[in-house]
Amino acid sequence: MAAFPNYIRRRKIKGLILDILIAVVVIGSVFPFFWMVMTSFKTRIQTIDPSVWFFHPTLENYRAIFQKRDIFIYINNSIIVVVLTTLTSVLLGTFAAYGLARFQFNRKEDVAYWILSLRMIPPMAVVIPFFLLGRFIGLLDTHLLLVIVYLSFNIPFTIWMMRGFIEDIPRELEEAAWVDGCSRFQAIRYIIFPLIAPGVVATSIFCVIQSWNEFSLAFFLTSFNARTVPTTVTSFLTVMGVIWGEMAAVGVIATIPILIFALIVQKYMVRGLTFGVIKG
Amino acid sequence: MKKKKEHYWYILPSVITLVVIVIFPTLFLWYVSFTNYDLTMGWEERKLVGIRNFQYLAFEDKDFWYSVKISLWFMVFTVVVEFVLGLAIALLFNRRIRGKRLWMSFLIVPMVITPTIISLIWKLMLNTEYGELNFLLHLFSIHKINWLGYESALWSVMMVDIWEWTPFLALILYAGLISLPQEPYEAAIVDGASPVQVFYYLTLPLLKPVILIAVLLRSIDSLKIFDVVYGLTQGGPGNTTELMSMHIYRLGFRHTNWIGRASANAIVLLVIITISTTILLRIMRRGIKEGY
Repeated sequence: MAAFPNYIRRRKIKGLILDILIAVVVIGSVFPFFWMVMTSFKTRIQTIDPSVWFFHPTLENYRAIFQKRDIFIYINNSIIVVVLTTLTSVLLGTFAAYGLARFQFNRKEDVAYWILSLRMIPPMAVVIPFFLLGRFIGLLDTHLLLVIVYLSFNIPFTIWMMRGFIEDIPRELEEAAWVDGCSRFQAIRYIIFPLIAPGVVATSIFCVIQSWNEFSLAFFLTSFNARTVPTTVTSFLTVMGVIWGEMAAVGVIATIPILIFALIVQKYMVRGLTFGVIKG
Repeated sequence: MKKKKEHYWYILPSVITLVVIVIFPTLFLWYVSFTNYDLTMGWEERKLVGIRNFQYLAFEDKDFWYSVKISLWFMVFTVVVEFVLGLAIALLFNRRIRGKRLWMSFLIVPMVITPTIISLIWKLMLNTEYGELNFLLHLFSIHKINWLGYESALWSVMMVDIWEWTPFLALILYAGLISLPQEPYEAAIVDGASPVQVFYYLTLPLLKPVILIAVLLRSIDSLKIFDVVYGLTQGGPGNTTELMSMHIYRLGFRHTNWIGRASANAIVLLVIITISTTILLRIMRRGIKEGY
């Protein structure tokens, strides 16, 4: 040890401490997810025994949620709502984003920030009118109502994300295409679209994640026919206590696709979290 | 002349959709907040009662003031802790680390995982008798904590929120850190500034716009919290964790069916959030103009 000058050793120790801190942060972040996966493979007795770390995994919980609880129906509901709301908002939002990115007009920024402010409206303020209106016109507990309500946060999000992606593309590319005789629409179709395609994919994935995870609106606006996955897990909160194993199994099935999606857009995460304002 | 209006074709479909699905319902919410409507009566029987609902909240409903108080406290406490921890984590990652991208991808998990589902897993882990947390604490011979009991339930909800959203600040601040210009740092080193001085007089001021945006976004979101509270405590025990959204839920849907009063409460929340949003957007606008 004496061969090492002191400052090198000190630096090594400092590096080691920092590495340990990172390990703590990483373990802390994933521990609840890890515990959910563990719980989903435990028997009912094992789920309420915190000392069980090593055990023979059982698939009983997974069997139960597919056979007894018809989890397929809820997954299906979630997929219908998420896909329709994402497609609609990406289609509408991308065009609006193009309008904001490529045209100059009066009070443009006011319009853009007004749109963004709509994203901040608390779900509780949206739920009450939609609950009442949905009751009056008989749309309560339908996929359509959820698709429409989810547009209220997905459209502003898409507009801001896509505006950033479109503004990243030099105007000259488009102008060159116009000179070559393309119409504006053709230029969008053949020049802009291929270049913003990764942005469209990333934005869509963010819309999917936030719609899939949404709870408050789905909780109030659906009851039986259009129930989504996040609202079913609360039905495990029974008077008799929670059936932890089955709940965890639903959780694993509902969150693994989302985690994979999140990994795909990791590069754009900061952008997505800040509506494209911070490019990251 | 026709060319000048071309942008309408791109923007109007979205704007019209948003007016129909956001502005119109919000106006309707204002209207309902001035009526005595509740879910047990027919819609025709409703009467306009002026500001009676707001008076009820302000003067008769003690739980309303409690929910406002703990919502603001919840917001301040969680955002401050998340900021401090997030900054620490961002600095921790701001050096050469093998496999950094992989480690950072783990940080994303708490943010993107379905909040209701993971809050139920937290409920399992926080159980006094068979929760994992008390078990692990026991290994360090720390006594059992009644995490979701009267005294600590609010702290536990805050803890879960902090677990969920610290990575949000960490990632944004990290992105801010790595995009800082290099020249001022070189100058500071030449001038013999200590690392603490560099951090205080250089890093923090340079990061300010990023910090403001991240902190305000978090503050607004934390005022709206509903799903995690619902999963963990449903506002209980008693009303100890009844944050504002939870109180609106109880007024309008769970115990009483007072939609009118719940609407008035929702309007209060909406106004608070609108004020915070205005501040946030003004800062964003200025930040974008300056360019960072």
